[in-house]
Amino acid sequence: MIRILLIFILLSVPAFGADELHLYNWNNYIAKETVDRFEAYCKCRVIQDYYSDNEELLAKLAAGARGYDILVPTGNALASLVRQDALLRLDKKLLPNLKNINPAYLNTPFDPGNRYSVPYAYTVTLIGYNVEKMRQLGLPTDTWAVIFDPKYLARVKGRVTVLDSQRELMAAALKYLGYSANDTIESHWDRAMRVILRAKPYWAAFNSSSYIKELTVGNIWLVHGYSNDMFQAQNDARAAKRKFTLGFSIPKEGAVLALDNMVIHKYASRPDLAHKFINFMLDGKNSSELTNMIGSGNPNLAALKYIEPEIAANPAIFPGKEELKKLEMLQDLNMEQRRVLNRIWIKIKIE
Amino acid sequence: MGKNLGKWLISGPPVLYLVVFFVIPTLIMVLASFRYPGEYGGLAPIMRHDASGAHINLTLESYQEYFSDFIYSWLFLKTLAYAVITTFFCLVMAYPLALLIAKSARKYRDLLVLLVILPFWSNFLIRIYAWMIILGPQSVFSQLLNGFLGLFGIDPVRLLFTPFAVVVCLIYVQLPFMVLPLYANLEKHDPALLDAAQDLGANGWQRFWRVTFPLSLPGIYAGIALVFIPVLGIFAVPDILGGTRGIMIGNLIKQEFLEARDWPFGSALSIVLTVSAMIIVGLAALAARRRVGRDV
Repeated sequence: MIRILLIFILLSVPAFGADELHLYNWNNYIAKETVDRFEAYCKCRVIQDYYSDNEELLAKLAAGARGYDILVPTGNALASLVRQDALLRLDKKLLPNLKNINPAYLNTPFDPGNRYSVPYAYTVTLIGYNVEKMRQLGLPTDTWAVIFDPKYLARVKGRVTVLDSQRELMAAALKYLGYSANDTIESHWDRAMRVILRAKPYWAAFNSSSYIKELTVGNIWLVHGYSNDMFQAQNDARAAKRKFTLGFSIPKEGAVLALDNMVIHKYASRPDLAHKFINFMLDGKNSSELTNMIGSGNPNLAALKYIEPEIAANPAIFPGKEELKKLEMLQDLNMEQRRVLNRIWIKIKIE
Repeated sequence: MGKNLGKWLISGPPVLYLVVFFVIPTLIMVLASFRYPGEYGGLAPIMRHDASGAHINLTLESYQEYFSDFIYSWLFLKTLAYAVITTFFCLVMAYPLALLIAKSARKYRDLLVLLVILPFWSNFLIRIYAWMIILGPQSVFSQLLNGFLGLFGIDPVRLLFTPFAVVVCLIYVQLPFMVLPLYANLEKHDPALLDAAQDLGANGWQRFWRVTFPLSLPGIYAGIALVFIPVLGIFAVPDILGGTRGIMIGNLIKQEFLEARDWPFGSALSIVLTVSAMIIVGLAALAARRRVGRDV
């Protein structure tokens, strides 16, 4: 009996070593007060590590990274992780707060039945702009044409940036042409490439890292980027008392919605704490703090009443039923498609 | 025997370090460049099993891809051009500076060298971001320049997000790597040689060109190698300052590993880059040796 006990203790030592939850999350993607409260609640420490895009997350895991409990991948990266069998199945009994999630964001093609994932927050890839400049130049702000059509671009030459992302830029061009963001027909990709190449001379840069600052400073007037970032730029410009205001809107052709999900890594050392964390984050108030901080979209219905009214009323952050229908989540491409797209992208970048 | 043991004990750890963290990874990369990409990134298994048994799953596909389209070589040549321009300007700017430091009074030299390496105290990325501000359209520099051009009726120029911005920042980042080896070399020159040359009737230019310059060639080669080779692989500078036209081969390699998740092609690109850099450096060393041989 004692021997069995000893073995049990020995086995459990590595798994229940320190009371630490390792969270591998996007940069600036959880409010500090939320973390503090969780630490007090679980009597544990949250160790955070950050990534700046899904590719970084996938590359790191593919290279064999271990030691993370919770990851927060976007839809297509989630699908990739599910197929690689890299995730732990969730125990729904431990997640009573799952009922708070808007069913529209559950049961996505990336993880049917949400066996591995729970929605965390979302962003929309849209256009952000300098409101006064757009008005002065008579440019529309409700269509991708303003990013892609030389007729409009001629007026903002050198003042536009687009995302430095193969999938996002391609999706925007496909949407502009009236195709699905997930279209993989090569002739459609080819058309999209030509649209991009035609517009490229008018763009200042492919920029995913500093467009918030460029918008806020007033160097750039029109950008293709993420709703969270636009929210931040808008607040920054207001705080800096700029003479202009920044706005953002979802183009009428539709756009990409990126739903980030909490998942537990297969090699998590503390699945118990991980479940606790997920359930904690599904609580309305805890979930609302992120939205109030960075203006992220929130799939949690119980969070709405805690969200600042100005944010809750912004259709680019909380799209209505009609707009929601036009938003698409990007699906993962297979290796062949990735190679084709990559070649197109190299042409776009070098030509 | 005891002497040999001591030699091994001292040189063993660094050799081991290089083998483990340089030789082996390089070999892994060479192997990776002949493999197929995995469906979700990473690499496909080396052995493939099907009905007819096990097959070795290797391919030349990645290299074929490189040579199938001139676009890759073009980007490579462009990167090379950036590296040559950067190295040239670093040399032209660093040489007088290194000479000045080497000739200044001994008590100031350490301070001057310290000033050269001072930028290293702030983070590389922060220094690049600083250039974003310096070259941005709202900056004092841009406004002065465009105001000046305006006097002659020339349209304002955009500095940020151009190949110009990339090269300027590359020169800035790499300059200390040229100054330091040049200084280390120039500082050791024996002043008696210059006196002797003067006694023999050499004027100032002749003393420099026939004495100082040939003696400093090893420093120049070291500086060129330290500047040229890192520039070939750099990706952060073009990423941040390059705009729509500034990308270099390093960006493409990074893109293959991260966004495209095509490790074999990324490895193949790295190898083409490494081999080309080795050939260029080898040719330069050969030319240098021949030149030195002729001069002596």
